[in-house]
Parts: sequence; C-alpha cells; structure tokens
Amino acid sequence: MIIAEWKPLPELIQQLRGYHRLLLVGCAACAAECAAGGEREVETLAPLLRLALPAEGRPIQIVTRTLERQCEWEFVEELAETIPKVEVVLSLACGIGVQAVADRFPEIPVYPGVNTTSLALRQEPGLWSARCLACGDCRLGETFGLCPVARCAKSLQNGPCGGTRPNGSCEIAEHLDCVWNLIVERAIARGQMESLLEIRPAKDWSNSHHGGPKRMLREDLRP
Amino acid sequence: MVPRQDIRREEPAVNFKPEIVLLYCQNCVVEDADLSVAAKANSRFQAKLVMMPCASKVEASHLLKILAQGADGVVVVGCPYQQCHRLDGSLRAEKRIEYLKQLLRESGLPAERLGMERGLNLSGLQLMLLAEKRALAVRPLGPNPMKEGLAA
Repeated sequence: MIIAEWKPLPELIQQLRGYHRLLLVGCAACAAECAAGGEREVETLAPLLRLALPAEGRPIQIVTRTLERQCEWEFVEELAETIPKVEVVLSLACGIGVQAVADRFPEIPVYPGVNTTSLALRQEPGLWSARCLACGDCRLGETFGLCPVARCAKSLQNGPCGGTRPNGSCEIAEHLDCVWNLIVERAIARGQMESLLEIRPAKDWSNSHHGGPKRMLREDLRP
Repeated sequence: MVPRQDIRREEPAVNFKPEIVLLYCQNCVVEDADLSVAAKANSRFQAKLVMMPCASKVEASHLLKILAQGADGVVVVGCPYQQCHRLDGSLRAEKRIEYLKQLLRESGLPAERLGMERGLNLSGLQLMLLAEKRALAVRPLGPNPMKEGLAA
C-alpha cells in the first residue's frame, strides 16, 4: 500500500492560518490502512484542529468527509456539494488523492495533511516497511522476491556491500535488515546460489522517474 | 488509587468550576457503587461519569471531541497494571492517551487536560476523588477556551 504520515502539527496549523471554513477529507484506502488518513484519523484531527486554531485567535468550522478512494474521479465527485461551502481543503490522502481533489476543484486551495513516504507492507501492528519504489523494471524474480531497490539503502544491484553487520543488519541502522544478506540466505535455502553469479544486463532505469513523469496508455480500455 | 492526602485542597480563587468528564471501565468499580455520590453537584468542580465495557474502548477522537466540546478535563479510569479484565485493555488506553498528550503538546495545547488513572473495586466516592484530582490539575489552566462564548 501507499503509506503516509501526518505532517508536523505546527506546519498544519500554520498553513490553515486565516481560513474559517475547512473541509477535512480522508481516504478509506491506503491512507486508512496506514493509520494516517482514514475516517478515524479524520475524526481525530478535526477536534484537534478545532482546539488548536482558536488558541491562535482563529475560530474555524470544520466539515469532515472520508471518501472510499480519493484517487478515483467518481469518489472525488462526492465533494462537489461541499466544496462551495468551504474556503480550504485539507486532504489526508496520499499525494495522488490531494492532486485529484486539486484537479477536480481548481478554484479552491487544497493542502496536504500528510507526507507520502513509500510503498510499504504492514509487517505487524504499528510497523510498516518500504517494499517497492515503483522503479519501472521489476527484477524480483532474480532476487528471490526481495527488492534491493527499495530495501537496500544504496539500491545496490550486486550486493551485499561491505557494510553488513555481523548480525545481518545494515550499517545505517541496527533495526534494518541487509536485504542482500536476506537474498543470499534465501538463495542458499533454495540451493540456487549460483543464480546470483550470473551476469545480467544492466537494469533499465529509463522506465523509472529518471525517464520523466510516467504515463500509461491502454487503447483497448479507452472510450 | 492515589492516597487522599496527595490531593491539595484549595478554594478556587476565581469563579471557575472545572467540568470533568470521567470515563471509567466497568470492571474498575464495585458492583453496588453509589455513583450518585460522584455525579452530585459540588462547589469545586462538576463531574460527568461515563461507563465503558473496557478502558480500551476509548478512541483518540472521543477524548479530543470531549475537549473540543468544552470540557475542562477528561480522565480515563482503567484497571491496574497486570490486572486488566481484558488482559491489555488498560495498557492500550494508556498508550492512546500518551499519544494524544503528545499531539496536544505539539499543537501548543496543555496536555494536563487529559489524564489516566487506575484502580480496582472503586467506590463512587473514589471516582469523585479521581475527578477532583483532574479538576485540580486543570484549575491553573483556567476554563477551556472552547466553552461556548469563550472561543476567540
């Protein structure tokens, strides 16, 4: 899922300065799964802002909504009736959701309430770890289902580097596993260690962000 | 349960009677507790009692909404450590409250309006004392600015 985390509260409060009618809109998809922008978080942030903003002399009315998905036009359309009644929108969705709302309602300022950080997996309650960087050239089949692009601090394609600790963690943090150590362990367990020694063509980075903004076109799906 | 002598008695200097909402786990209170004692009108503070099946039923949004609606203080009463009837319910409530206090501090708001207490076999009078403890903690802060007519 796409994961995000609340922006620092002083930053949120600062960007809402001067507004009196706010629409706080959440997303029931990824942002809810990572406990940053679902209905629960919307209903928590709303009273917090009500408390914090009058303290700075700015009484504010807050309308709350949580869309099924903020990255789909048909759900974003549900805001059409509410938008004319507010001065500003604070979105707790990922960057995609924020832009969808801003594109559909360009007449109103839309602020992000969260920082979108990565594509991640919920490892256990309260702990999410990055698993994908959307690099556009997936090689997971060659690395035994473990992504060195997202999970290696250097995104090495031929690790491990010399910084792996004796306990198998990465040199940059004790709690981070060295993904190349995990890849080698999994290769040994499958008895396919020799596959890591194969010479492979260089990874194609042109399909990642380095190739400019991405666009996917499927003529068969177009109207 | 905090010993009675820990509570400092002082007459209110101003005409401020804190409104305290006390949310308590039903397992913390004796079955025949006289809750009317706690809810009774009091010259120093006003308490509103809310019973919950477990302290962990309280959500972050519940506590903030109570404050946003003008309560001067909120206190959650859960089971003592290692004696929770739902194993870790009171621990979950405590974690949520600590998280909320952090959010309040980050927002420049006083975290003292929020508190957690623990107890077992509490009487109505003891609940009242816990509410009074929170009332004394919020007294220096003055009335909640969210009270009707006080918001800037």
